[in-house]
Amino acid sequence: MALKGLDIFKLSPRKNCKECGSPTCMAFCMKVAQGSVSIDKCPYFSDDAKAMLNEQTAPPMKTIAVGEHKLGGETVLYRHEKTLVNKNLYAVAVSTDMTAEEADKKLSDLQKVDYERIGERMYVEFVFVSNTQADPAVYAELVKKAAATGRCLILECWDVECAKAALAAAGKNVILDGATPDNWEAMNAAAKEAGVVLGVYAENISDLYDTVKKLEAAGNKDLVLDVTGKTAKETLANAVLVRRTAIKDGDRSFGYPSIVNLARLAKGDDRLQTAYASMFTEKYASIIVMENMTYAQALPLYGLRQNIYTDPQKPMKVESKIYPLNGADENSPCALTVDFALTYFLVSGELERSNQPVNLIITDASGMSVLTAWAAGKFSSSTVKKTFEELDIENKIKNRTLIIPGKVAVMKGEIQEKLPGWNVVVGPLEAVQLPKYMKDKEYEAAAKAAQAEAAAKAAAAPKEEVKELSFEELLATKVPEIKVVDMGVKYKGHNPESKTFVTIGERIHCISPVIRKAMDERDPEPILKRAAEQIAAGATYLDVNIGPAEKDGPERMMWAVKLLQENFNNVPLALDTANKKAIEAGIKVYNRTNGKPIVNSADAGSRISNIDLAAANDAIVIALCSADGIAKDNEERMKHCHNMLERGLSLGMASDDLWFDPLFLVVKGMQDKQMDVLNAIKLFSDEGLKSTGGLSNNSNGAPKAVRPIMDSALVAMAMMQGLTSAIVNPCDLRLMETIKSCDIFKNHVLYSDSYLDL
Amino acid sequence: MAFTPKTAPFRGKINAVTLGAGDKAIVIGGQNVMPFYTFDAPIENVPKIGVEISDLAGEWTAPALKEFYAGCVTMADYAKKAQTMPGADFLCLHFESADPNGANRSVAECVADAKAVAEAVTMPIVIMGCKNLEKDGELFSKIAEALQGKNILVLSARSEDYKTVGASVALAYGQKVGAETADDINLAKQLNIMLKGLSINPENIVMNIGTAAVGYGYEYVASTLDRVRLAALEQSDADLQMPIIAPVSTDTWGVKESTATEEDEPAWGCAEERAIEMEVSTAAANLTGGADAVIMRHPAAVATISKFITELV
Repeated sequence: MALKGLDIFKLSPRKNCKECGSPTCMAFCMKVAQGSVSIDKCPYFSDDAKAMLNEQTAPPMKTIAVGEHKLGGETVLYRHEKTLVNKNLYAVAVSTDMTAEEADKKLSDLQKVDYERIGERMYVEFVFVSNTQADPAVYAELVKKAAATGRCLILECWDVECAKAALAAAGKNVILDGATPDNWEAMNAAAKEAGVVLGVYAENISDLYDTVKKLEAAGNKDLVLDVTGKTAKETLANAVLVRRTAIKDGDRSFGYPSIVNLARLAKGDDRLQTAYASMFTEKYASIIVMENMTYAQALPLYGLRQNIYTDPQKPMKVESKIYPLNGADENSPCALTVDFALTYFLVSGELERSNQPVNLIITDASGMSVLTAWAAGKFSSSTVKKTFEELDIENKIKNRTLIIPGKVAVMKGEIQEKLPGWNVVVGPLEAVQLPKYMKDKEYEAAAKAAQAEAAAKAAAAPKEEVKELSFEELLATKVPEIKVVDMGVKYKGHNPESKTFVTIGERIHCISPVIRKAMDERDPEPILKRAAEQIAAGATYLDVNIGPAEKDGPERMMWAVKLLQENFNNVPLALDTANKKAIEAGIKVYNRTNGKPIVNSADAGSRISNIDLAAANDAIVIALCSADGIAKDNEERMKHCHNMLERGLSLGMASDDLWFDPLFLVVKGMQDKQMDVLNAIKLFSDEGLKSTGGLSNNSNGAPKAVRPIMDSALVAMAMMQGLTSAIVNPCDLRLMETIKSCDIFKNHVLYSDSYLDL
Repeated sequence: MAFTPKTAPFRGKINAVTLGAGDKAIVIGGQNVMPFYTFDAPIENVPKIGVEISDLAGEWTAPALKEFYAGCVTMADYAKKAQTMPGADFLCLHFESADPNGANRSVAECVADAKAVAEAVTMPIVIMGCKNLEKDGELFSKIAEALQGKNILVLSARSEDYKTVGASVALAYGQKVGAETADDINLAKQLNIMLKGLSINPENIVMNIGTAAVGYGYEYVASTLDRVRLAALEQSDADLQMPIIAPVSTDTWGVKESTATEEDEPAWGCAEERAIEMEVSTAAANLTGGADAVIMRHPAAVATISKFITELV
């Protein structure tokens, strides 16, 4: 039984005495929840608390395992509340009513649907074997045939002798759908003896409830409920009421998976069964029994199921590989895009419409869309190169034309450099333009141009041996000398011991074209201007984002750090790039007078090694409490938090040097998750941990006039929860005044009438 | 201990909106429970089915669909025939060929078609444009003017053109207006607020909150439907209490499951049956999520969904 770490924590002694071997009580509780440590390791947990835990933390709905399948275990009524966990499964019905030929045909037909869609095998998981007669041998014969398909079985049988014979013939991966208000004792004994899950059926929901109660009292909680009524209307009512009673009202006697039998509700009407199955996919069936499962039914039904059971916070991904479209072979051109399922469907659909052979190459971008992935560094020339190597595209494809999405035209040069011999062509901005683009073969001319350009480049600059330079050599040869310019602003200094709220100015960011250009050209003026504005507005730290900077990261960062610190009294900086060497280089030239450098950022997934980087360089690190996508709840956020905390501590960092970022979420789209984020901050704070984050993300997409108001309200709430820092736009006066006022109420700054001017 | 289910309607209620005029007029919306939750409270107006008639219907290739419309030439022919389709409650005229990037038929021709249909049929009429903002703006205004008194629904006003579409369709000519957004509850609410801000009565607004065929990002549609309905009923949010119309066929007939020929996909079987099942599944999913009306194409799919609705209310 999965216990919730946070629930355990509520009952914990909260002494952080470390006697259990964990650094904090919270960390200990998380381990207990994961099952890696026994709760008895803590000498201070009371027996009462332990007993209460078992009672309180049982989930509202049981997870029932049949063979390799899991049923139930849901915690919410609607997927947007969190996520649905165990997808509904399908069964096809055979019956002793059928002739042997009919049954054989069903059993053979149901195995025909078996295909893969976005990494998931789509097939009929169960055979529903219905008994309508009294001879045990007849039923056992049919069950044996059904078992030969290798699928799990549901034995619908209310006759105890037939059931026993069937169980003997069926093996282990079985649900005995046989308990009724009349026979439950005998059926319970049969199911227990065979060690299988017991299905319960009654004429009405009230009798169903009573029968479950009796079975529970007899010690059986390995149940599924057959909620099929006399009509579709009654069946929907049963399915909803059972689930609602379990999840909303917390009555665990209805906290079991459910079976809906459409072979009974819409006999002989495949299309109506498809309609009902679609409904019961959304409304609470765990197993749907059909008369048939043809491809025409399977394609929409399995597609719908895959959609509904997608975790709302983890985008659907397709496999990174070469997808040959329209009969493409090794001589067909290649088109490249990311692995976000919707992007893939859109792009492959439009490419198919063009009727032109093309190899669609999908690169791993963590399921993000093209622009999001690019901005997050998950879709870059390096990731593309990696994909080309992993898929061995050089050898598999002879054509050398590579079409990249129009939205990342900026990557053309870099990809061209990383993939010598390929002719990189910028495709259209939108997928809908692809059919025309492909039919008109616009890419052919562009590929020729790219080839000529590459040839010219190669001729102009004969290959020289590139030797990797040390930071000192780079500094001496590649970093322009810094001129100190009087910008009329002086950084007033910062005491790292102070408790006042730390603002990290976010305005020096390569997403801004002005800054990107200035970084590329090492033009100090636009960067100094933005720095001066932010310092004048009261920023404590400045964030320096130099972009992915795959090529010249180290010299770029050294230049930026020196430029800002030499001009502004050693203003402390957050070094923000995906290029680790660049961060290291930046720290080499960093002056610590006003505080340690901040590494922006690490996470609990692929970027966890940035904690090692911070530890090795005595820096602060912003630790994003996420791994693959946004954490689904605070349970997961805190798990990431403690993974990173432990890693940092084991490398000798002080816990104060890990600033945990709960990941502020946008209100437009994730309004119902805002309190989760705020509560996560409280959890950090309760453990004495520091926190930060890109707070203004909350108001993304809101009208300009509204954003400062939303940001100010959120920062006040977050500071109340214990937020110690934020990455903000310091030029937002309302926000900065709110922060200063909160620092007064928190007694971090002594009040004076002029406190806002300080 | 006997089980007594907790059942109750919500305080909030979906607006009841009338489409069409005369005997065949229909009402959509009006309920105060989640879709088909008749055990919480009876449902006042059962969900309705509209039949899509495209001005490109001549290009439809599915054999049984062609057979149903055999002999039809003009849009009015199609509309008259569609009116006889068992399960049909209203007609949706889809002016695909007005698209400037396609056939670019003139507004005058489209209006003439719409008028001819309106004279030939008695069922309520819904108008669907070509998705080109500029062309749709003119088309919607002219059709709304030509069909005054018919109480038609025009799909749709979007955040880019709600002012012109809302002002002409709803204010000047007294028709119903659809508010179209794409899987975004905040935008859906905002657009309704803006339409109401033009002095359009909420009873004249219907929402299209976004569509997709099942398997193609339908999770966004499903969750938007859930959230919009819960906001309208549970939180009594008056800016989301408009009934919802879901155009189904325009998405489902374009996906590979429906378009791939039997030669392309030998294992999949009859292409028309696949298109029907795709339409059935998507329509049923939309109705389960909260759509008060669906727009469909194939007579067999319409018959199935009609039975589905009848069985559930």
